[in-house]
Amino acid sequence: MTDGTIINPPEDRPSSLWRDAWRRLRRNRLAVAGLVVLAVLVFVAAFGPWLTPYDFLSQNLDARNLPPSLGHPFGTDDLGRDVMSRVIYGARTAFLVAVLVTVVAVLIGVVLGAIAGFYGGRFDKTLMWVTDMTMSVPQLLLVVVINASLKQPISLWMEARYMETMNPLYRNSAIIDFVLVFGSMALISWPPYARLVRAQVLSIRNRPYVTAARALGLTNRIILTRYVMPNAVGPLIVAISAGLGTAMVLESAFSFLGIGVNPPTPSWGNMISDGLRVWTNYPHLLLAPAAVLAVVTVAFNFLGDGLNDALNPKGQK
Amino acid sequence: MNALLDIRGLTIDIDRDSGPARVVDGIDLTVAEGESLGIVGESGCGKSLTMLSLVGLLPNRIRATGGVADFAGKDLLAMSSEELRRLRGSQIGFIFQDPMTSLNPVMRVGAQIAEALVYQSGMAKPAAMERAAELLELVGIPSPRDRLMAYPHELSGGMRQRVMIAIGLAGSPRLLIADEPTTALDVTIQAQIVDLVRDLKDRFGMSVVWITHDLALIAGLADRIAVLYAGTVVEDSPVDVLFERPTHPYTRGLLASLPTLTDKPMSRLPSIAGTPPEPGRRPPGCPFAPRCALVTAVCTTSVPRLAPVAGSAPGHRAACFVTAGEGAS
Ligand SMILES: Nc1ncnc2c1ncn2[C@@H]1O[C@H](COP(=O)(O)OP(=O)(O)OP(=O)(O)O)[C@@H](O)[C@H]1O
Ligand SMILES: [Mg+2]
Repeated sequence: MTDGTIINPPEDRPSSLWRDAWRRLRRNRLAVAGLVVLAVLVFVAAFGPWLTPYDFLSQNLDARNLPPSLGHPFGTDDLGRDVMSRVIYGARTAFLVAVLVTVVAVLIGVVLGAIAGFYGGRFDKTLMWVTDMTMSVPQLLLVVVINASLKQPISLWMEARYMETMNPLYRNSAIIDFVLVFGSMALISWPPYARLVRAQVLSIRNRPYVTAARALGLTNRIILTRYVMPNAVGPLIVAISAGLGTAMVLESAFSFLGIGVNPPTPSWGNMISDGLRVWTNYPHLLLAPAAVLAVVTVAFNFLGDGLNDALNPKGQK
Repeated sequence: MNALLDIRGLTIDIDRDSGPARVVDGIDLTVAEGESLGIVGESGCGKSLTMLSLVGLLPNRIRATGGVADFAGKDLLAMSSEELRRLRGSQIGFIFQDPMTSLNPVMRVGAQIAEALVYQSGMAKPAAMERAAELLELVGIPSPRDRLMAYPHELSGGMRQRVMIAIGLAGSPRLLIADEPTTALDVTIQAQIVDLVRDLKDRFGMSVVWITHDLALIAGLADRIAVLYAGTVVEDSPVDVLFERPTHPYTRGLLASLPTLTDKPMSRLPSIAGTPPEPGRRPPGCPFAPRCALVTAVCTTSVPRLAPVAGSAPGHRAACFVTAGEGAS
């Protein structure tokens, strides 16, 4: 017996699973393009207030509905506000909502899906029933219902807190909007993650290495967290990437319909909605936010596809 | 010798939609302290399920429905799942068939060996890693300290099986159950693994149960061999006696199908015609009767019991009306 039976040279070792995936991802041009776009988005969302040439709220009634120019690359809107500044601020909204919604949805989905898949039984049956129900009702309808039924109690509670503390934060209607948008979106977004994780766990829990871990006398909790879940993250990462894009589109859709983020807080959705009313005269008011939303969504899809191929090199069909 | 493991009348049923189907039908096996028992038998005869049932690892919808399995004086089949969990790894170790898939692909091998020591025996992490390196050295892995940080896919099949053995040994079990641990390996590596397990067994005084299809391979490892057919033990014998005087027609068939050096090249080996009965579709008499050349009337109506083979060495038992009973030939 010699060292010759060991396949890879030692310097190739640490964390080579993720490094291999990263190498494959880097070879995929579309995925890299998506990654770059999203990096720009994150940067803009993080540093927006320091990047915008104008305040997103400041109106200039002498400079209304201007077409794109050097001073206003995306033009101005009907109140003379700089459209680029508003699009940048909209990125902040979109990103904040998408990340928070996805984090909450993934947390709920992973915990419920993992428990259901691993332990099965009545909990699993109930969870599948709930996800079936949630996923069979149109999302918009669900959000409208949740919004309608939560807005009243939350507003009342906020008002009561305001009376108690006199903290003006409780009268900030933007906070209520955000809480409602997040809350209802998270409530409709977790079922797909739960199903994905459950399916993963179901297929992994009977793999030989899980049986081997049981034969070692490890507890269920350790087997689930150290043997099952780490092997389920690949598809989950792909789903999260796609899910972030979907959440951004959802936020825009709700704001477009006037049930999401309300003016004057800029959101791509409410900018598109405003732009749509006047697009024959001022197409830039519709084009700017719509184009940015489209580019970002496509970027998320490219990245998701790239991740899928990078993380499942054998699963290319 | 004291029996460490004593299985009597074990039955295992699969819960099918059409009703329960019996896969293991009254198995009797004993393993003495420090003894190694080889279990051979065709695919699907219930070897793996028998061993998994001992430690509560049967798959869903499969249950041990009868019998006792005394391990060090306690009935395993009557233990709670928590008691069994504590027993696994520390008292009864396992080595599985496929070293390619029996290691967690995203965990370094050192961590996988240390796992049982940390979570089961409460050993501190650094001490557990130290012990993991010792175990790797023990199973013959070169530069064990470097290998601790390797991922399974960076090791060859033989290396991985050595890692599996190290994991199986980590808790210093009294009984090591190896379920076809060499089936997936090259012939030369197979022999190395058999030698390794024999060495370790002698060194630690463990008992070993070694499941295999390959009679020739375990001839050098086992003290005794039990031949399983369709969920029952048809013959149980000290290893040399079995090769000298195979008694059950099925065992004779198995031995006849082993290649020998005197065979003409490319000549066909004899094989046993027919297939074993499906679980739940056992014939009323001897389960081997439909394939047996020596079948008589009684074979198709009553089930033969495992009984001492007349005129053979002590400890040699077979279940056959024709070849094993008093006055049988
Ligand atoms: N999870 C399962 N679900 C349903 N039937 C099963 C399951 N596992 C095993 N069986 C059935 O139980 C019988 C015995 O299986 P077992 O795995 O014990 O066979 P074995 O003797 O170990 O065979 P092999 O040599 O192929 O490993 C087989 O007929 C098999 O079809
Ligand atoms: Mg088996």
